[in-house]
Amino acid sequence: MSSTVISLKNISKKYEMGGDVVFHALKDVSLDINKGEYAALVGPSGSGKSTLMHIIGLLDKPTGGQVIIGGDDISTLNDDQTSTLRSEFVGFVFQQFNLINKLTIKENILLPIGYARKKFDYDPDERADYLMERFGILDKKNSFPNKISGGQQQRVAIARALIMNPKLILADEPTGNLDTKTGDEIMELFGELNKEGITILVVTHEPDIAARTRRQIKIKDGEVVK
Amino acid sequence: MNYAVSIFRSAITDFGKNKGRTFLTSLGILIGVMSVVLLMAAGSGLKVYIEQQFESMGSNLLYVMPGNMFGEDGSGLAGADGGLAPLFVEKDMVTLKRLKEIEYVIPYYQKTVKASYGGTTKYATLNGTSEDAFPGSNLLIDYGTLFSEADNSAKNKVAVIGSKMAEKLFGDASLAIDKKIRVDDQLFRVIGVLQSKGGGGLGGPSFDDYIYIPYKTSYIFNTDKKFIQIIVKVRNEEDLPMLKETIKTELKKRIKTEEFSVIESTEILKTISSIFGILNIVLVAIAAISLVVGGIGILNIMYVTVSERIKEIGVRRALGARRNDILWQFLAEAVVLSVFGGALGLGLSALIVFFLHSLFPAYISLESVLLALGTSSIIGIVFGVFPAKKAADLSPIDAIRYE
Repeated sequence: MSSTVISLKNISKKYEMGGDVVFHALKDVSLDINKGEYAALVGPSGSGKSTLMHIIGLLDKPTGGQVIIGGDDISTLNDDQTSTLRSEFVGFVFQQFNLINKLTIKENILLPIGYARKKFDYDPDERADYLMERFGILDKKNSFPNKISGGQQQRVAIARALIMNPKLILADEPTGNLDTKTGDEIMELFGELNKEGITILVVTHEPDIAARTRRQIKIKDGEVVK
Repeated sequence: MNYAVSIFRSAITDFGKNKGRTFLTSLGILIGVMSVVLLMAAGSGLKVYIEQQFESMGSNLLYVMPGNMFGEDGSGLAGADGGLAPLFVEKDMVTLKRLKEIEYVIPYYQKTVKASYGGTTKYATLNGTSEDAFPGSNLLIDYGTLFSEADNSAKNKVAVIGSKMAEKLFGDASLAIDKKIRVDDQLFRVIGVLQSKGGGGLGGPSFDDYIYIPYKTSYIFNTDKKFIQIIVKVRNEEDLPMLKETIKTELKKRIKTEEFSVIESTEILKTISSIFGILNIVLVAIAAISLVVGGIGILNIMYVTVSERIKEIGVRRALGARRNDILWQFLAEAVVLSVFGGALGLGLSALIVFFLHSLFPAYISLESVLLALGTSSIIGIVFGVFPAKKAADLSPIDAIRYE
């Protein structure tokens, strides 16, 4: 039980489409992500994988079922509590990197720290330097995102996701905006991070990318098929 | 505390990267604050100016004037030169002179005349008065001498003229002494030129353009031998209220009560001050409208900013920002924008007042500084709260998917 990072029980998500039409984006999905796992959520567009990712990332709430983190059902949390949990639980890596262009690389990496409500048992500033050093972007620390390459931007995004030491890294099509070679490097980086015990869930529609993880969760028409 | 500092610092850095837009948006607040501060400065300056003018006319003065001023009929100051006929005669002066509390009795007969010397002709205000006028109204001699009681009794055709009038007629005030000037159809010998009193610049009486002659001599023009007013200087200030009543009682023996008034200079000052005070409040209120317009400019640009940054808002929410973190971020930006405009407006006003100061005793009070900065931050909050609320209420998932 303690090895489960997040547990979804009979999750469903319905959208009222107007009139009597109801669209079932997710139907009765049950899923556990365990500590130290390197998994991929695979499925074609419209399969419900984005909806599932938003629920796992605490950006959205299901219309039915339970989301359990650390033994607690989080559906009762209010918006502020969810935001705080989100900042500690999950680190996002996006397809378009989503860095803030007005902030320097280092400021971008430290951005989640400003929203944290907890005491740190490490120095965030030192950790940012360590992550930049490790990802080979330390010399860019005072540059702005639009002045560096896509691969570098994605490394900044990964560093930003790791700065809070989250329980889960959630990567949404992390290679989608990169060329094959750079994409490979990013996936390699995820592999290395996983070997160090970091739990990673990659959301992708590309089977090649999914194949590089150790567990594939296939989703189709709102249901987990495997 | 740290939170507030970091939020404001990031708002300021943000604007540093967008200087043109920041300046243009602040322009509305800048103009609003500037007009309010300048009008307040002008108002308080004007008040000081009026007070100075009154002081220069001398203190402890009582004005005996025709008409029922400050009376129940509410005729107010309009009576002062509102076409009321001259009323007082020499006998009244003698009556007043007998009161031991009174130091000087100064009658005034006034007439607008043409004064000429050589080829130069100027309009001037002729004053038929007593020798008491000079010490009583703090009029000091610059060249020559003042006229005396003897000049009055002998009806000598002598004149003491203001410095500006002397310059106008003779070019140089020192050349005026012993020259004959023509006043309407009469010739007068100039025996003295007065020191400048200032004034006249703002539509008030220009004392430096006055011509003073003995009142008995002025009977050439003043065939009725009546005076428009008598100014009385009292020895001790504490006697003023008592004397006001005594003068009324004495004059009542000859004139009906409702036909004249006895007024203290402070009463006139109070009335003028209150009129200017109300005028100033109205002007400042009108100027405040431009502040509101400036606020609407901020409202506009903040809505634009929020729409431009929906994606950023989504990213921040995904990274753990609470609804209020977003609200404060945009509110801080609106306040910074507005206070920046306010501070700039204040600085510009200070500069203008500094250059204006040589002409006019305008000054920027601490109140107007606080008011300017206070209102601009309030405007930032009031007009920033709607866009900030819009930003905070965005659903994180819609925001992050926004393209």
